Amino acid sequence: MNTIPLFVKPGRLLIVVAAAAALLAGCAAAPVKPEGAAQARSKLTQLQADPDLASRAPIAIEEADRAVRIAETPQPDVALTMHRIYMAERKVDIARALAETRFAEDQRGALSQQRDNARLDARTREADAAKKQAAMAMAENARQKAVMDQARDAADAARLAAASSEAKSAQMQREIAALQAKVTDRGLVLTLGDVLFASGKAALQSGASGNLNKLVAFLNKYPERSVAIEGYTDSVGSEEYNQALSQRRAEAVRSYLVGQGIGPQRLIASGMGESSPIAPNDSAAGRQQNRRVEMIIENPMTASSQ
Amino acid sequence: MRPARTLALLISIIMLAACASTPPAPTEGLQSARQAIANAERADAGHYAPGDLGEARTKLASANAAVEEEKMIVAQRLADESRASAELAAARTGAAKAIAVNDDMKRSTATLIEEMKRNSGEK
Repeated sequence: MNTIPLFVKPGRLLIVVAAAAALLAGCAAAPVKPEGAAQARSKLTQLQADPDLASRAPIAIEEADRAVRIAETPQPDVALTMHRIYMAERKVDIARALAETRFAEDQRGALSQQRDNARLDARTREADAAKKQAAMAMAENARQKAVMDQARDAADAARLAAASSEAKSAQMQREIAALQAKVTDRGLVLTLGDVLFASGKAALQSGASGNLNKLVAFLNKYPERSVAIEGYTDSVGSEEYNQALSQRRAEAVRSYLVGQGIGPQRLIASGMGESSPIAPNDSAAGRQQNRRVEMIIENPMTASSQ
Repeated sequence: MRPARTLALLISIIMLAACASTPPAPTEGLQSARQAIANAERADAGHYAPGDLGEARTKLASANAAVEEEKMIVAQRLADESRASAELAAARTGAAKAIAVNDDMKRSTATLIEEMKRNSGEK
């Protein structure tokens, strides 16, 4: 009965309603900053302190700042606070990601320059290396060419020398042919026939000088050659007689040659008498052939022939 | 008479204070969240920020469920959170790609320098 007038008084009605409403809302919220908001604030502060990122997403950071402040606002609805904290954290993270993107894009210019410089450097080196190789290749070519030129020159010289010695040899052959000498194992054999001596005499007749002068010329040209002068007779008369005659004839030839200037040490005269006939002695023609003086131009002495 | 009227007034005020009027379904919020998720997927956030993208999808599903239960305030908040998560997925994807491009350039440069050193070493 006494409580009913309480409801009737208008002033108190409002107070009761407010208290009931607060109770019904069931919120025991205290007027303190929600704890979860501190993490969001801290993340935002970190971002704002980062010199690389702070200036690179100003709008997003501003939005995040607003969201964090809202989250920090104490109010009784726990679910709402949780929601606001969630939103604030996401906004801070978004701001960070946008700033990082911008930062990377800003760095790109410098990186691109570095890469282009490196490429340029690499290409320059390649070019230099290629030039160097080319120079080396050229030097190698030049060297090889020089070697080949040298070889060719040597070949030419050798050919010339061979030709020259061939020419000399050909000339000698001509000279030998001109001597009308026979080539034998002992050497070149020049034969003076019987007509160059009077019968039974040892004195050379004038016709001999033609042949002998050719021999003289040859011997002058090839001073290393010696001559063995050998006289032969036919079988008519005694062996002693023929021996002596052939000896004297050989010496006559020798004297002539010495008289023409051939060194006497190069000339050996020997009489062979009746020995070594070159034709049968039973005919006049044969006997005439056997009466001869042979001059053997000995082959040049070599160490092995001794 | 007066006590009955006062009581009725009191009860209606309490009831008003106790249960707020049911707001309409947050169709705009849901649409925005769907849009943000689609954008993130297009940017390949599934590869670069799968966690954030997954969270956005989960929250959108929860938002739809809340709408079914006529918990509209919860639904609105979940829709907003879904959108924020999707936007974060997209932003992180952008950053990852930008950094990848830079890393690629740094790698090329380093390789070139390495090769040059090697070549000049050979000589």
